[in-house]
Amino acid sequence: MANKKLTLALFSGSVDKLTAAGVILGGAAAEDMDVEIFVLLQAAFAFKKENALTNNRVAEITDKQDEFLASLKRLNAPHWTEAFRNAKEMTNVKIHICGFAGKVWNGEKLDDFIDLADDICGIGEYMTSAEQADINLFI
Amino acid sequence: MTQEELLTLKADKTVDARGTSCPGPLLAAKKAIGEIEKGQILEVLSADEGTRRDIPKWCNKKGFEYLGTLEESGYYRIFLKK
Repeated sequence: MANKKLTLALFSGSVDKLTAAGVILGGAAAEDMDVEIFVLLQAAFAFKKENALTNNRVAEITDKQDEFLASLKRLNAPHWTEAFRNAKEMTNVKIHICGFAGKVWNGEKLDDFIDLADDICGIGEYMTSAEQADINLFI
Repeated sequence: MTQEELLTLKADKTVDARGTSCPGPLLAAKKAIGEIEKGQILEVLSADEGTRRDIPKWCNKKGFEYLGTLEESGYYRIFLKK
């Protein structure tokens, strides 16, 4: 039986939402789902090499940012990049950087992004992939 | 299995995932299940409340047999058969 497929339109560049995405990816990896992630606009900022580990922005409950980040450490939660990497090691995960999003953040080449990224693509790729997905998420 | 039967059960492999939060224990179970043979028993130690519900569902989807859970002080011992 073919693996089920998850597509994720990842718009957010905030660690709270990226961490949530990492948790969902873990669930998908446990179930051997095929996953395709399309890194859009603000998420492309987070995927830039110089930002991935230093970006601590949160999108929600921003007045509790310090408490949130401290809780992640206390709970031994992996950084989102590590959660994504774990999922890539356990199941078939492809990460596509939206070409437009890359340009917004001065990322023209794949090498401008962390090595989790597999390629730079256009939105048509996402539409085709999402049409075939069992689960499609926007974060 | 009954709680008494679980107490005497000898696992072929035990994975301690008490230091991780969801989905850590589930991912630890997935890794460990690849390291045992069909018919062998895996024990997962987890302090994560969600895991005790996740693993039975995961077993059902993946074709493994969920044997049961023992509640210890501050953690769970979850048993499944590959």
